[in-house]
Amino acid sequence: MSKRQVAMVMDLNKCIGCQTCTVACKTLWTRREGMEHMLWNTVNTQPGAGTPHGFESMGGGFRDGVAQPGQRPSVEDFGKAWNFNHEEVFFGGKGEISLAADGGKHGKGPNWDEDQGGGEFPNSHYFYLPRICNHCTHPACLEACPRKAISKREDNGIVLIDEDRCKGYRFCQEACPYKKIYYNEVEEVSQKCIFCFPRIDEGVTTACSRQCPGRVRFVGYLDDPEGPIWKFVTKHKVALPLHAEYGTQPNVFYVPPLSPPKIDDEGNPTDEPRIPTEYLVSLFGNGVHDALKTLERERERNKRGEKSELMDLLIARKWLDMFGPFQKHPRDAARNRPIPQNQQKPRAPQQQVSEIRFYTKEEFKKGGRA
Amino acid sequence: MRTQRVKNVAPLLDPADPGWRTVPVEQVSMMPTPLAMQPTPYIRNSWEGREYGRVTDLAVASVHDGRQWALRASWRGVSPAGKDFPDALAIALPVRGKPVLALMGAADAPIHFLRWQANKSVVASQIAMGIGSSARGPAITCSAQARAEGDRWQVVIARPLGGAGDLAPLVAGRKTGIGFAVWMGGNDERGGIKAFSIDWAELALDA
Ligand code: SF4
Ligand code: SF4
Repeated sequence: MSKRQVAMVMDLNKCIGCQTCTVACKTLWTRREGMEHMLWNTVNTQPGAGTPHGFESMGGGFRDGVAQPGQRPSVEDFGKAWNFNHEEVFFGGKGEISLAADGGKHGKGPNWDEDQGGGEFPNSHYFYLPRICNHCTHPACLEACPRKAISKREDNGIVLIDEDRCKGYRFCQEACPYKKIYYNEVEEVSQKCIFCFPRIDEGVTTACSRQCPGRVRFVGYLDDPEGPIWKFVTKHKVALPLHAEYGTQPNVFYVPPLSPPKIDDEGNPTDEPRIPTEYLVSLFGNGVHDALKTLERERERNKRGEKSELMDLLIARKWLDMFGPFQKHPRDAARNRPIPQNQQKPRAPQQQVSEIRFYTKEEFKKGGRA
Repeated sequence: MRTQRVKNVAPLLDPADPGWRTVPVEQVSMMPTPLAMQPTPYIRNSWEGREYGRVTDLAVASVHDGRQWALRASWRGVSPAGKDFPDALAIALPVRGKPVLALMGAADAPIHFLRWQANKSVVASQIAMGIGSSARGPAITCSAQARAEGDRWQVVIARPLGGAGDLAPLVAGRKTGIGFAVWMGGNDERGGIKAFSIDWAELALDA
């Protein structure tokens, strides 16, 4: 077990499904060749199939401590990065042509059932569920790997794949019940969320949390009584892991969403919430009942003008307080490092507008320069 | 198992070369690697009751010309296209000491592997000192040519004679041990999920 564990709490009451987190991660980490389909961070609409589609029935994890067989999601299950016929549409000179993904033969995208949700009008409902690798305390991926290519960092519990040891066997992909491992067909290795460890090491929080306009994501050490995580998870018990029954002890926790009351046939509000509590229990376990009660109670206190530590934390008035000890600006962290010799000269002016493309591993290491 | 001396190995690098017809073929018995020896509980649990390592024998012939050594192996097990893992063959040779083949060698007794896989044209040189430990092996100029005839693979792997450091010795007029592993990619076989020759066979190179 690691000495300490970094963890994330996501407040589902505030996620607006904007995918800024997804894009922040994509542009920072998954721009190498073979990573086109990778979204280490995903945001899906619930109830829904998620990403990869139907991941909750793909097996893996542990039952009574015993490793369970699982499936490998295919690129199609994750949802491919589609190619569009922009050239043809804008410059092709044909009036009739319309925009088509993969020549009209596309499969499902990673966010296929966006905003569909569940329930019948007037009680239709949905909420967004952002997901990253959970950097589990009992990581099924790590335990499945015969190459010892996956490790859990001693100092902060971040789970990492050593790409030099990985041979692309993908037992980890089968074993992870959250299906948060991707396979790079070009580099022939498995890859996944790294909890932005190079930033965390410098005191900078993850890109997804820092970019989130909804102030959804809190970051810190699980056992730090001064930090936000411990207060949500341990003190107030309002943040719960997704599918704890998978047995991996995830370190990403969710504040379950409150919802307006269900409407009866006469159009009058009932005592039941619009999002069925049983559905939330199926995701976050029995702790949902108490968590929702606590949230409602504290909200009422706030309304009465009384002080509520929990509400103050959730509102996140002071943005930087959301990130525990990881409040540094990335620019300031970068300033403390000497600029490498080969990057000290001014850059040649760009000749043309750069196109969006994926880099080779070598180009990527040089900051995307050939 | 004998490696016959021939005048020139070069034409025999093609598995279809008629020259192979006069080289004696030996059958090597193969079996699935025992489930209990798979290195992680996940692999043991997920392969329990699932068939693997179904290749029961390998037809092997080998030649050398004083400089090059070539081995032709043939077995039934061509996987359909579009699968996640490739069909593959590995030849194991002991580097020094008395490594246990099933344990993939030990720290003081490494095993050198030459591995061909159907989706690559190069042979990988690997060194292993225990299960799950294989790493890049010594640099060596190897070649492999493969053809699928119906459901049979015919593969010729060649390397120079000699040997120093971590390169397993193959010397004219001397004996060594040889072992094999076969993966059927279409059945998701990779890593320790494979068929292997239970123990070393003696390999005697003509002087
Ligand atoms: S979420 Fe999956 S990939 Fe991430 S640590 Fe847990 S088991 Fe491993
Ligand atoms: S950036 Fe924040 S609000 Fe937007 S989808 Fe991600 S978690 Fe939700």
